[in-house]
Amino acid sequence: MAVSATQAPAEALQQLPTKVRPKVDAGDVMVPDGYTVEPVLVGLSFPTDLAFAGDGSLFIGEGGSTWPTRPAMPARLLRLDPSGQLEQWNAEVMPGPRGLAVHDGGLFVSVKGGYFSQIHRYDLKTKQKTVVIPSMPDGGWHEPGGPIFGPDGLMYFGQGSVSLQGVVLPAGFSEDVAKHPDAKDVPGQDVTLTGNNVWSRDPRFPLPVLVASGPFKPYGVPAAQGEVVKGEFWCNSAVWRAHPDGSNPELLAWGIRNPFGMAINAQGELYVADNDFEEKGDRAIAEDPDCIWHLTNARQPFGSVKTPDWYGFPDLCKDGLPAWDPKHLPNRGKPAEPLIANPPPWAGPAAYLEKPHSCMCKMDFCPSDDFGFRGELFACEWGTMAPFNTNRPEALDHGFKVIRFNTESQTTETFLANKQPGPASYHRGSGGIERPVSCTFGPDGRTLYVLDFGVALVSENLMTSYAHTGVLWRVTRSAGRQA
Amino acid sequence: MSVATISQPILLELGQDRWDTFLDNVDTWLGNVLLTQASFRKLAEDTAGKIQDPRIKEQIVCIADTAKEHERQVDALYHAIGRDPAHGRAALGTVAAKGREVVGAVTGLTGGAPGPWHDLRQMLLSNLDAMGAFAAVEQCGLALGLPDLAKIAFQVVRDKSTHQLLIQEYMLEMAPLSILYNESI
Repeated sequence: MAVSATQAPAEALQQLPTKVRPKVDAGDVMVPDGYTVEPVLVGLSFPTDLAFAGDGSLFIGEGGSTWPTRPAMPARLLRLDPSGQLEQWNAEVMPGPRGLAVHDGGLFVSVKGGYFSQIHRYDLKTKQKTVVIPSMPDGGWHEPGGPIFGPDGLMYFGQGSVSLQGVVLPAGFSEDVAKHPDAKDVPGQDVTLTGNNVWSRDPRFPLPVLVASGPFKPYGVPAAQGEVVKGEFWCNSAVWRAHPDGSNPELLAWGIRNPFGMAINAQGELYVADNDFEEKGDRAIAEDPDCIWHLTNARQPFGSVKTPDWYGFPDLCKDGLPAWDPKHLPNRGKPAEPLIANPPPWAGPAAYLEKPHSCMCKMDFCPSDDFGFRGELFACEWGTMAPFNTNRPEALDHGFKVIRFNTESQTTETFLANKQPGPASYHRGSGGIERPVSCTFGPDGRTLYVLDFGVALVSENLMTSYAHTGVLWRVTRSAGRQA
Repeated sequence: MSVATISQPILLELGQDRWDTFLDNVDTWLGNVLLTQASFRKLAEDTAGKIQDPRIKEQIVCIADTAKEHERQVDALYHAIGRDPAHGRAALGTVAAKGREVVGAVTGLTGGAPGPWHDLRQMLLSNLDAMGAFAAVEQCGLALGLPDLAKIAFQVVRDKSTHQLLIQEYMLEMAPLSILYNESI
């Protein structure tokens, strides 16, 4: 299906019709010496992921209803062929694509919408769709993760929590409560509840109706002390693996709040990004770091994992401290109380802790010496939602960059960021990046592609995202230069 | 060739022709916004003139005054997309009568309740209709990266949401008087 796409001279990017992002200018973006950054595709609407096919085509998913849920734009798969022709590749109406991978003749897409996230496989030749993973419980806040494929040929994928803060609450976007009133978090193991509930005003009523909500319950359903919630294989805040056709799925981990970013290296070591709790609302938690987990259960032979590892959600912060620890007491909102009376052993510590609210997203391992930094993990940081989700001034410029993480030395460096901190929209006249959401290395081994979600403006009481402001950036290593 | 060698940036739906079509479509929708808001404003003014209870009358007069300001804001929405509001105003006169018929059909029968209480019920529906029309403009502003369009519409929606609660509250407060006692308010 054709889309309206035109090649334009670079000058056209100095005067775009999108007044919220009037220019795109690589000159405002900083990469290491020896590398060149340039925009390739401008005008994307809420892009979420990208993946190369064997013929050199680049697939890009536009997420439809994303973050926040409005405006809801067309959810679609775009294909940029090697000659520069752009088309809408999917023919039918689809839920929101969140993750893309090409493997063995198929385009695998994780999609969000309704009560369940799914993974679809599209045949690259016929476009025939097969639902390979049908029912990851969702209908709430967080995202499906992956799919990605390991050197073992297995598909790795995840699903984030329904709740933002461990209990389903109408925190900022009350439409979730109306759309999916039965949505809830589902544990991966049996848990006994403390009976602590969270009170909130039900936004579905025009009068102040107060309701109590408990963990692992739909909104408005309280928990009882000593109540046992049975663990389920298809839980959320979880990571699984399976054969590419979805058969023989295996639960590796749960307790990962938002495993949106996943990457696996040539040795089969699995790394998963996670996002922090927010410092607002009726279960407010302060200074929870973002992080990258190293999921050691992925080392176990396929089919042998009897007990999933637990990474802390909904009671532990990424540093392993309880959400009610003095270090994490909020300076606004109601402090958290324990939800699980018998927590499983914690599988941390994290491989890498990042500043709170950096919003770590998708990641990719560098596969080639041609680009440099071979074997290092390149991770996108979408950027903070402060002052909306925390009122700490120091959080205002966290994120908005691509970092590289050396998993051996456990060191990080910023690889791509604006010359001025924060997104371009912070600085009048800047044409740099806004919010990096995904990155992948090209088939030539010399090029990194960075997907920029576009403009999301945040104030103390509101967050708004603007479509047609997403950009695909290309970072190329100059010939003959050493990293 | 490869994606790595594409030399000129590609604009997706940002070319002049496609963008003009987007703006034409918003322009057309703004005519509907103007119609629904003008209908609501007229209804609010008429209702205010009928109500006897001074405290409700004062509130409805206030809502009608704000509705007039919101109607003027439609001009600002036209300006936010670089279009002339004059043609929207011109079209308004020819379709306004039809709009009133639609409101009448939606509200249905009075159910035996007399007087301006029924007008309050009509206002509830009419305001909701206009609020939805403005909210759709806000979505278009977000979809096209036009913050002025989104922000102007959002402010109006915020006001009208408050008005909706207020109109509903008075409608409900007066319901027993109107339905059970057949009293006019």
